[in-house]
Amino acid sequence: MPLHITDYSDEILHDISFALEAGCHLCILGANGAGKTTLAKVLCELIDSDAVTIDGKSLRHMHGTARAKAINYIPSKLEIFDAHMRVEELLALSHFDTTLHIGDALERLRITHLKDHPCKTLSSGESQLVLTASALLHGARYTLFDEPTANLDPIRMRTLFHLLADDTVLQSKIVITHNLELAYKLGFDILYLEAGHIRFHGTADRFFTQSQLDALYHGSVKNLGEHVVVSL
Amino acid sequence: MKILFLLASLSLLIAAPFFGQIALPLDELIQPQSMAHQVFMQIRLPRVLLAFLVGGILSLGGLVFQVVFRNPMSTPYTLGVASGATLFTAIAIIAGLGAYSPLFAFVGAMMTVLILFAVASRFGGYNPTTLLLVGIALGFFYAAALMVMYALSTLQESYEILRFTMGSLDIVGFGQIGILTAATALLLLIIRYYKEAFKALLVSYEFAFLQGIHVKKLSYTLLFGVSVAVGAAVSLTGPIGFVGLIIPHMLATLYQQSAEKLLVPSFFYGGVFLVLCDLIARSLADATLPIGVVTSFVGAPFFIYLLLRGRK
Repeated sequence: MPLHITDYSDEILHDISFALEAGCHLCILGANGAGKTTLAKVLCELIDSDAVTIDGKSLRHMHGTARAKAINYIPSKLEIFDAHMRVEELLALSHFDTTLHIGDALERLRITHLKDHPCKTLSSGESQLVLTASALLHGARYTLFDEPTANLDPIRMRTLFHLLADDTVLQSKIVITHNLELAYKLGFDILYLEAGHIRFHGTADRFFTQSQLDALYHGSVKNLGEHVVVSL
Repeated sequence: MKILFLLASLSLLIAAPFFGQIALPLDELIQPQSMAHQVFMQIRLPRVLLAFLVGGILSLGGLVFQVVFRNPMSTPYTLGVASGATLFTAIAIIAGLGAYSPLFAFVGAMMTVLILFAVASRFGGYNPTTLLLVGIALGFFYAAALMVMYALSTLQESYEILRFTMGSLDIVGFGQIGILTAATALLLLIIRYYKEAFKALLVSYEFAFLQGIHVKKLSYTLLFGVSVAVGAAVSLTGPIGFVGLIIPHMLATLYQQSAEKLLVPSFFYGGVFLVLCDLIARSLADATLPIGVVTSFVGAPFFIYLLLRGRK
C-alpha cells in the first residue's frame, strides 16, 4: 500500500513527487526553511491538496477513522489548548490500536510516572515522549515524526532512537530531523530538501558518502565511519 | 470544597421560590385555592426555573464558544448573537408587533449565526479569529442600528426597548418555558453526541483533524446548537451579560480539570448563579432591579478578584 505524492507545488515546495512503499521508512533532511514541516503537513492533509494518495485513494477524499488509520503526524511540540488535561486522557484520544495498552506505550518510553500529570506540568522533552507514545497508540500505517529528538537529553534520545529503530508497531515511519547521526544510525532511505526542491532521494548508504555530504553540507559534516559528526 | 458548593447550591435552588416581595406563609401555601399558592405556582416557580435554564444555557454556551474560538473572552454575546436578538426585538416593538417580540428575537439571533457562517464559508479553512472579528463587527453594526430604532421610536416604545435590553425574568406560567426546555435539550444532546470529538478539540484543531474528526463540521454544529439555545433564552429574557464569561472561568479555577469535565458543572452553576442574582434583584430594592445589572455588579468585581488571585 504505497504512499504517493505527485507533482505538488505551493509557495514553499516545488514539483514534489515521490512514493513510499508500505513497511518502508524514510528520513527527511534539509536546512532550516527548506520545507520539511510543510511537506509533512501536505502528506497528512493538514494542508489541503489533491496530490497525496494512499493505496491509490486520494487522501483528500478519505474521512474519519479511515484517514486517521492511514496517516498520522506527530509535531515537534505539544500544543494543547486545555492544559488541565491529563496525560492518560490525552493518550486515550488517539488510541486506535487497541492491541496496545496505554500503560504499555508509556512503559516503552519509560514515562509511566507521567500518566496522571496534567499536560501543563510537562517539560518540552517529556511532552515529546508523550507525543511519541500517542503515535504508538494511534498506530497509523504511515506516521510522520517532526523533529522527534529536538528537546531530548542524551539518555532519552537513545530511548527514542531504539524505539524508532526497533519498533514493529508502526508500519512506516517518516522522520524529519536535523540530527544526522540519528538518520545515519536509523539507516532509512533519505529525502533531502533544498529550498523546496527534492535535491536527493535514495538509500542512506549513498547519502552518507563523504562526497555526497560535501556537496550538500559544504564540508561541515564528516563521516567518520562509526559516526557522522558536525565539524565545527 | 466541591461538595460544599453543591450542597449550598441545591439549598439555594430549593429555597429560592419561597423568597420575594410578597411573603408566602406556609399554611396558606399548601391550600390550592389560596393567593399564596397561585403566586408560588404561576410566578415564583416559573421564574426560578427560567433563571436556572437561562443561566445554564449562557454559561454552557460560553464554555463551548471559548473552546471553539480558542479565546477566553468569547461568549455568544461577543459574536453579536444577543445584539441581533435585541435589534429584532426593537424592530418588533416599533412595528407594533410587540406581542411577537420573542419570535423576532429568536430570528435575530439565528440570522446573526447564519451571516457568520456565510461569511466564514467564504474562507477556505475554518478560521476562528476571522469569525470572531466578523462577530464583533456585526455587534457594532447592530448597536448602531439599535440607535436608529431609538431615534425612530416614540417615548413609550423607547422605554419598552430599554426594558428589554436591561434583561428581565418576569414570566407568568410555564408556557414559554417549554420552548426553552426543548432548546436546552437540543444543545445538551448535541454536546453529548460529540463529546469525544469535543475532547480532541481541547488539544488542538490539528490534533483533532489527525484523529479523523471533521473539525469544521463539528465547530459549526456546536455553534449552531449554542446559538439556538441562546436565541431562545434571549428572546424570553433579553440580553443578560457576564454569566457565560464568569462561570466557566470560575469552575476552571475551582476544578483544575479539563473543560470536558466542566460541561455539566457549567450548566448547573450557571443556572445557580442566575437564580442567586435574581434573588438578590428581587430582595434588595423595592422595585425589582434589572437582572442584567445584578449579574454584572456581582460578576465583574468577582471576576477581577479571580484574575488577580490566579496571577499569584
